[in-house]
Amino acid sequence: MSSSLSKIPPGVQYIFDSEARVRRWIEREVMGVLAAWSYSEIILPIFDYADLFALGMGKEQAEMTYRFTGRDGKLLALRPEMTSLVARTVATRFREKPRPIRLSYSGEVFRWDEPRGGRQYEFHQIGLEHIGSERLEADTEVLIVAIEALRKLGVEGFTIALSHVGFFNGIAERLQLDDGSRAVLKEMIDRREADRLDEFLESFTDREQRAAFGRLTSLAGKCEIIDEARQLVSNETSMAALDELARVYRLAEALGLEQCIDIDLGDVAGLDYYTGLTFKIYAPGVGAALGRGGRYDHLLEKFGNAEPAVGFSLCLDWLAEQIAPSFKSSSFAQPDDAVRLSSSGDLADVFTEAKRLRSEGRRVEII
Amino acid sequence: MDQITIAVAKGRLQEAALELFQRAGFRVPSEANHSRRLLVEDESGRCSFIFVKPADVPVYVEYGVADAGVCGRDVLMESEAEVHEPLDLRFGRCRLVVAATPESAARGYNPLAVARIATKYPRVTSNYFQRRGVPIELIVLSGSVELAPALGLADHIVDLVETGRTLRDNGLVVVDTLAESTARLIVNRASYHLKRAAVAGLISALRDAAGNG
Repeated sequence: MSSSLSKIPPGVQYIFDSEARVRRWIEREVMGVLAAWSYSEIILPIFDYADLFALGMGKEQAEMTYRFTGRDGKLLALRPEMTSLVARTVATRFREKPRPIRLSYSGEVFRWDEPRGGRQYEFHQIGLEHIGSERLEADTEVLIVAIEALRKLGVEGFTIALSHVGFFNGIAERLQLDDGSRAVLKEMIDRREADRLDEFLESFTDREQRAAFGRLTSLAGKCEIIDEARQLVSNETSMAALDELARVYRLAEALGLEQCIDIDLGDVAGLDYYTGLTFKIYAPGVGAALGRGGRYDHLLEKFGNAEPAVGFSLCLDWLAEQIAPSFKSSSFAQPDDAVRLSSSGDLADVFTEAKRLRSEGRRVEII
Repeated sequence: MDQITIAVAKGRLQEAALELFQRAGFRVPSEANHSRRLLVEDESGRCSFIFVKPADVPVYVEYGVADAGVCGRDVLMESEAEVHEPLDLRFGRCRLVVAATPESAARGYNPLAVARIATKYPRVTSNYFQRRGVPIELIVLSGSVELAPALGLADHIVDLVETGRTLRDNGLVVVDTLAESTARLIVNRASYHLKRAAVAGLISALRDAAGNG
């Protein structure tokens, strides 16, 4: 019995002591930043109809949810992400509210996806959605809020890899790829497989174009990347994407934020979901992106009210892992020593004394 | 510039990999190939090498413990690690094949029974047979897979073939090729940005040394 009691299912975690304190601190700080930018918190249900997530994330992605049946026999799922829940709420219950709508959330999500790279079946996302504005100001705002949150947390040396799905889409349109080839092309660019990409494109385009696409896999860097990319493409969609990137980058420059931004035109991972500017957040000590965001103008439409939207989310688990080492010494990680009161005397006196000490801000432990 | 850590697959690819790094201008200490030391610093101080089992290279790189790594494409396919794969290093060429005794090969997969397949590559093998609608029973071994058909443990095997000699010596023939494999440079997705100058330098130095266009 004892062995089965101590057994923990893979992919979940129990968190206590300083780790719990770090996580609560991160949550408080980030939510504080979001609130200061007028994002109001929405508290979302842990589970909802499975169909809702299939609609929001696509059928394939929604396969990863933990599903079970409700009392009415309908299929339910633990939330694998927050955005679908927010989008559905905005598209149905917030229809009459003035736009844009700014919402923030914080909570655990659950995915039946093999734990790897430090990812668990259960992880904590903090994020925001900015709904109802198609203007680039909204994209930029979201990006800047993300940077401010990371700075508030003291995450050192982070880089935001900024991209735009329009750049890839413009190229794919011109090649007139079918869905299968498009998926292959996307995967090769995502993995930066320059050599395979060249072979793959042989049947689609000439040598010069191929060399240009090959560069796509290595186009990462500062704003000079945008100019270089302009030489490589001529289609309107890609050009418009580069213009948007350039505008956001210039604004970031004006705000002195350019040193933490990297342009990365090879970031095509979120192609089926995002529709415009996208970004991923990287920081030393974590092997994968600890946050991501971008514009997703097609999602709200699926819930019956077409309107543009931008958002981002941070993975609290990875933030905690990144911050924990530098956090150990801070007062939040190790609270002040408690005043220990003996409970052997008159209990009323002990509790009165405890209350007095507490009012002075001391921590009390009755032994 | 940032120092980078490179995981190199021990064994089959190790010598050629270190030779390539040498040609690319890294000063790899000569004892790296022979000593039992698992961590060696490049004498120019640009990077350090760690030597790990081939299948572990994608793990070290995916977690970011190593910024980059060298391993075969066979290993990458099996791991499905989320890493960048910017360079085909063009050495260590071999094939991942389905092989069987000539009798089994002639008979094909019995449509009414489950085929027993022995392999070190369970994920690649399952995907391959699933796509073809062949039901299989997977027998995962960690070595000497070629023995399995001779001893009646499996009908077919999926394994890596370089010259084909081991197959012939064990009385097996190739039924189908799943994939061609060569050594690859892989890069951690975060390091790609956080240590961009160093990583970009590594990629271009190795590309030139490997003779890729």
